[in-house]
Amino acid sequence: MKFRPIPARAASILIAAAFAAPLCATAQDQEPPEALPGEVPEEIPASPAPPPPPPEEEQGSSETSFEAIAQIEVSTIVPDFRTPWNAGRPGGGSGTGFLIGENVFLTNAHVVSNASKVIIRKVGDPAPHPAKILHIAHDCDLAMLALEDPEPFQGVEPLQIGGVPKLDTTVKVVGYPIGGERISVTRGVVSRIDFRPYSHSGVDLHLTIQIDAAINPGNSGGPVIQNDRVVGVAFQGYSGSVAQNTGYMIPVPVIQRFLKDVEDGSYDHYVDLSVSEFQIQNPAQRAALGITGNTGVMIAGVQATGSADGVVQEGDVLLAIDGNPVFNNGLVKFEGELVNMNEIVERRFAGDVLKLTLLRDGKEMEVEAALKRFLPYLIQANEYEKRPEYVMYAGLVFQPLDRQLMVAHGLRDQTIRYYFGNYVNDELFKEHPEVIILTTILKDSINTFLEGYAPAVVEEINGTTIKTLADVQTALANPPADSDFVTVKLHGEGRPIVLEKARVPEAHQRIMRQYQIDEDHYIEGESEDAAAKSEANNNR
Amino acid sequence: MTALKKSLAAALIAACLAPATFADPEPDLSILQVNVTAQGWNFRQPWQKLSPADRTALGPLMEGNKVLTTASIVSDAVYIELEKPGSGEKITAKVDAVDYEANLALIAPVEANEKFFDGMVPMDVDPTPVVGDELEIWQVEDNGTPVVNKAVITKIDIDQYFLDSSYFLIYEATGSVQFRAASRLLPIARGGKLAGLLLSYSTRDQVSSILAAPIIEHFLKDVAEGEYDGFPNLGLSYAPTLDDQFRKYLNLNGDDDGVFVSGVQKGGSADKAGIKEGDVILAVDGHSIDRRGDYEDPKYGKLNLSHLVKGAATVGQELKIDLLRGGEKTSVNAKLERKLPGEYLVDSYMFDRGPNFLILGGLLFQELTLPYLETFGDEWDTRAPFRLVYTATHQEEFEDEGRRKVVFLSGVLPSLSTQGYEGLHSLVVTKVNGKQITDMKALDDALASPKDGIHRIEFTDFPKVIFVDATMAQQDNESLMPNRYHIFKTKRIDEE
Repeated sequence: MKFRPIPARAASILIAAAFAAPLCATAQDQEPPEALPGEVPEEIPASPAPPPPPPEEEQGSSETSFEAIAQIEVSTIVPDFRTPWNAGRPGGGSGTGFLIGENVFLTNAHVVSNASKVIIRKVGDPAPHPAKILHIAHDCDLAMLALEDPEPFQGVEPLQIGGVPKLDTTVKVVGYPIGGERISVTRGVVSRIDFRPYSHSGVDLHLTIQIDAAINPGNSGGPVIQNDRVVGVAFQGYSGSVAQNTGYMIPVPVIQRFLKDVEDGSYDHYVDLSVSEFQIQNPAQRAALGITGNTGVMIAGVQATGSADGVVQEGDVLLAIDGNPVFNNGLVKFEGELVNMNEIVERRFAGDVLKLTLLRDGKEMEVEAALKRFLPYLIQANEYEKRPEYVMYAGLVFQPLDRQLMVAHGLRDQTIRYYFGNYVNDELFKEHPEVIILTTILKDSINTFLEGYAPAVVEEINGTTIKTLADVQTALANPPADSDFVTVKLHGEGRPIVLEKARVPEAHQRIMRQYQIDEDHYIEGESEDAAAKSEANNNR
Repeated sequence: MTALKKSLAAALIAACLAPATFADPEPDLSILQVNVTAQGWNFRQPWQKLSPADRTALGPLMEGNKVLTTASIVSDAVYIELEKPGSGEKITAKVDAVDYEANLALIAPVEANEKFFDGMVPMDVDPTPVVGDELEIWQVEDNGTPVVNKAVITKIDIDQYFLDSSYFLIYEATGSVQFRAASRLLPIARGGKLAGLLLSYSTRDQVSSILAAPIIEHFLKDVAEGEYDGFPNLGLSYAPTLDDQFRKYLNLNGDDDGVFVSGVQKGGSADKAGIKEGDVILAVDGHSIDRRGDYEDPKYGKLNLSHLVKGAATVGQELKIDLLRGGEKTSVNAKLERKLPGEYLVDSYMFDRGPNFLILGGLLFQELTLPYLETFGDEWDTRAPFRLVYTATHQEEFEDEGRRKVVFLSGVLPSLSTQGYEGLHSLVVTKVNGKQITDMKALDDALASPKDGIHRIEFTDFPKVIFVDATMAQQDNESLMPNRYHIFKTKRIDEE
């Protein structure tokens, strides 16, 4: 994984739809999120690219058995970050999956995300077969499923995983897209192999293969086949009207990495080098940095707490990764192809040590970086299966900032956008493990004069600096004994929010009743003790 | 007999009217048309101007053969003329005085020309109108026919004039207006005197918003006194104290009202007077301030306290401000000042001069201004690069770093010396060749000392640092810029 770097970087962002077919209207209600800070829309060529030459005929294509290719029906509950105490919005959709081993199905993560129920249907068989999710990897949009009862697919030959197909060779996409009830097959050629964003998380980039076969809603999770072997998983397309015949599949290296990662029974995610690199194209840059050959990129940023923190410095020149020379444009020669240098990091796992050759102050040196995940970038990610965290206190609703919150509340406040967009870049995560937003004020007589103070970034409560949602809960539960007031200081606002301590308990209970809030807070990982304690405090 | 009397009376009246100096102002005698061709600067490509546009106003003739109009009409003017409705005579004119905050300007002929003004009657200002008074909205048709519509003042309030940040006294008057002239910017009269300038008119509810006479009077007096001081600013923001819990917290008992000081601008009048965030303003110049921030004006009734500063006071005047601080009453004398847009880190407006810029090879450096951000459209606060937006909305954080202005790389004109940097834009510059960049002048100075012929330019954001060959950049400045981009001057630093 190479997480999507935030602002200035010219790297473009795909506007792609995750292609699961909606089953019922509710799933369609979701508006596409508006552009958030840090997003740069892809530049799309004004005229369509010339058509590719006629494809070569694929060999032995008619032999594929469709039995291993199943339709997956999913009921979902989409968390509601606007009213976080509610259960969420029910919806559903369908996609495709395929058998890759004894009762093991592969599909896209986005097909089964937020699932409350998963059903697998066999081709030409009307019976619904309940299934469960074994592993789900949102960072590479893959998931592994199994039937509750393996019987219906016993005896079905699983599909074999192949390799990376060559450019301009024919592939076929099999699945259950919209436009009919039965299985569908489309064909196309391999158009491009590239390092691209995965729209499911919105922040991860991996190897992607572009094909010109039609990929439509419902195709998601279906196999892309060449010579009877799976060469990819169909997963996204272009949502715009400019690019046409542009479908994308997850290629075998990404699939294999996922399968290897879950071998130990759990998914451990991609790791990241957590540096941003700048290409060397300018002669003055070359001279100033002491670069002589065609290898080396400048390290423009090293994320604090990331894998390279303390090992690599800003202004270093990265010459090679694990002995693979990094060319001035950031590419490496890997498995016979010129690919993004992060492709080397892609194949590695947490704890692996990477050898980096650097040029620092004109001297060549070797350092080692132990690879790990870099979590702060997740603030900008689409996340799933995540119960919204919140604290509601006398009508004031506090929530930690993330992409879900930005979209659900349509947050446009300058300061909040700054914290969201520059969280990684300005290393705001060091001071703010969580950025706490006062998102809403549920109107009541106790807070009726506070209109207009939400949304805002919370700085202090009762004199305590707020760094996490747990801090909010603690500070509110323990107001200073020497004051009759609870105070909340908001970023950039001189007027504090002031509530009379004595009036809070009654108003709090009234608001919970009126607004039908069963629990006044949910904090992930909060111990039972703390929960009970705060409950007692609120009821006092 | 009767007929004779009548004609005699008519002759007498005619005789009385004949010498212009004794005549009362009338629309056809006191209004001139102001024709302006304006051409603003292109804040994205600061070496050039935008395409020119024409504007027209009807302005009252004031004493000294000057015509009053709004600043919005004359901003970035390249050519101004005065035209007599009716005769169509024209004379070239210039801006004599302008205040963009108060949205007022005086226009004078480029060369004195008494003959042009022959037979015209200048207007005096009547600053007395109050709610209930009837006003006349004056127009003159192209052929010289006067048109008068009437409207009654229904409300007097503080509202926005021209710039987003400037709030002044406004009359709201109700009565239908038929627009007959080439312009909708018209003089407002009362008893033959100038009572205001029409800023806008709503056809739906027939309400005219009128720039009020007291502000015009203040402006004219200030101009007449020589050095122009403008309208003062207190430099603070406040929050109402309607919330009873908040009032208890502040120890505000039932008798005291007042507003909570929620922010104090560094170096502003309030700051210098020692007013602090957290103070409660109880009274200004002896007028009690209520919980919303209004006071009881003897003439206008409830009015926002800003009028006590901007409308009623002048620059240099001391204003007594009663405060509640930590539960104790105290008072300060604030000497009122005016902060010009250029004295802020980010200029909130810029007219009649080109923005500062500097081109190095193809790297385009600019100073951050609000007009630059506004080139991203009405929703610039969400559309413009948010690093720049954040800088503009949190100026004090950057002033603390010793900056006078924020210099940023706004874009790159592709050239050989900037190869590889084409995609860079909206990057705030921190250092160049090891020197802190506090404004465009500092950048220009720093570029005099490249190391080993290479400029080192550092930014707050990715890619943090770039290098440019000094000789190659100079060549691009001298050859590519003029030949390909038609940029003949590669920098502008503080030119009027």
